[in-house]
Amino acid sequence: MKYAVAAAVAWFLAVANVSALSYISVLGVTPDFVLILACCWAVIRSEEEALVVVPLCGLMRDLLGSDPAGTALLGFAPIVLLAALARTQVIDSDFPGAIAVVAGGTLIFQIVQTSVLGATGQNIDLWQVIFSVMIPAVIVNALFAPIVYLPVRWLSPPRALAMQGGRRLTATLTSKS
Amino acid sequence: MRLIWWLATVGAVSLVSIFLSERGALAPVHNVTLTISAPVENVLRDAASPVNDIYTSIVDHGSLVRENEDLREQMEELLTQLADQQTNQQTINSLRDALGVKENRPEDKLLAAHVIAQDVSGQKRMIAIDRGQNDGLDEGMVVMSGAGSLVGTVAAAYEEYAWVRLITDPDSAVNAQVNTGVEQPRPAATPGVITGGEASPTAAPTATPAPTGEPQSTAVRGVLEGDLRPDVVLDLLPPDAKIEPGNLVVTSGLGGNYPAGILIGTVKDVQQRPESAFSKATVRTAAQLSSLDTVLVLISFKPARLEAP
Repeated sequence: MKYAVAAAVAWFLAVANVSALSYISVLGVTPDFVLILACCWAVIRSEEEALVVVPLCGLMRDLLGSDPAGTALLGFAPIVLLAALARTQVIDSDFPGAIAVVAGGTLIFQIVQTSVLGATGQNIDLWQVIFSVMIPAVIVNALFAPIVYLPVRWLSPPRALAMQGGRRLTATLTSKS
Repeated sequence: MRLIWWLATVGAVSLVSIFLSERGALAPVHNVTLTISAPVENVLRDAASPVNDIYTSIVDHGSLVRENEDLREQMEELLTQLADQQTNQQTINSLRDALGVKENRPEDKLLAAHVIAQDVSGQKRMIAIDRGQNDGLDEGMVVMSGAGSLVGTVAAAYEEYAWVRLITDPDSAVNAQVNTGVEQPRPAATPGVITGGEASPTAAPTATPAPTGEPQSTAVRGVLEGDLRPDVVLDLLPPDAKIEPGNLVVTSGLGGNYPAGILIGTVKDVQQRPESAFSKATVRTAAQLSSLDTVLVLISFKPARLEAP
């Protein structure tokens, strides 16, 4: 059921991204809500879910975009690794981790996308892509991340602190008390 | 270990998908996805359009007022030119009839299409339209705005839908010419035929580009290239070209991929460097490419790449 919901939300966000949200242009780029959803889901929910939801998001983005199908699937895959790293954080909130994963995931996705487009014959002006697309996209996606983070956080059960590992400051304090 | 296997699997599937996609094997999948999503996309675009208009009018109020004044002045001049042009056209028609001269492109067939989606990846400038191979579309066909200026070409045609590469896309290259000494758009001389019934009938007289025939002696030729910015760059111009801001830029027809005489835009500024073999000009597109709702596909013109055996 949760995967069906994730797929439906990813599809809706992908559709909204290429239609209504395409009017939004901040720093010259449009926020990628599908990527943000993949990042937030991967950080907030379990790794098992991330292994399914992240490719689902990539698939939806591939099917509704003009890039070669598989580009987003490939570009989103590292988000699972970034989310795993974010889970090792030492503070008792996954919000900074989610923002960091959104920023890192966006950068990696942009690099993968540029590589795929370059390999498939697209004319790439690397400096322009870096300064006009990559850097603005990292900033804009991170800025818009709370819009997706909050509903996902709200709909997710709170994490059991014991499952976070002893590296969390609060986990240690909680167990002593 | 599990993550490594997962990454390897996803990577392999992705690479196979990219390969198949480049070979066109996944076109039916894209077509089905767009068929399912198009109604929702249309509703969302229609809903967002007024919100965008309000937002734009608030943010760009000052520039809109200035633009409005400029447009009023331009319209007045155009109407004056139109009156002259109509008189001249009547003379040309009667002379053409008398001499038995054939028109260059007597009747263009245009197919109206709705824009349903826009690529938001940032590295491309593409739009999706609700017409495809079943409507006679093919890759490379020329796409124009409702007012008849150049928008781009069909990049990928599925059964019911197509992706259009805008002239601002980095992969776009158009043989163009600057009509020096001409600073206002010429009204079209021959009414076109719009099929599909979705374009306003009033658009017909302006939808067809003016049949220009041979390039004018005052034309300066170059290659128009997109580079992700709203304006496009006209490169490979002769270093001594006398080009001024406001000059009209139209397709030259060289190469056979675009008919000659389609309006592209106006020269914004010129960069002439003595040490360079060519000069460049920045061109402001006539069509508002970021907010297109309806476009016209020129289905009667077969680009050279489609005509080739």
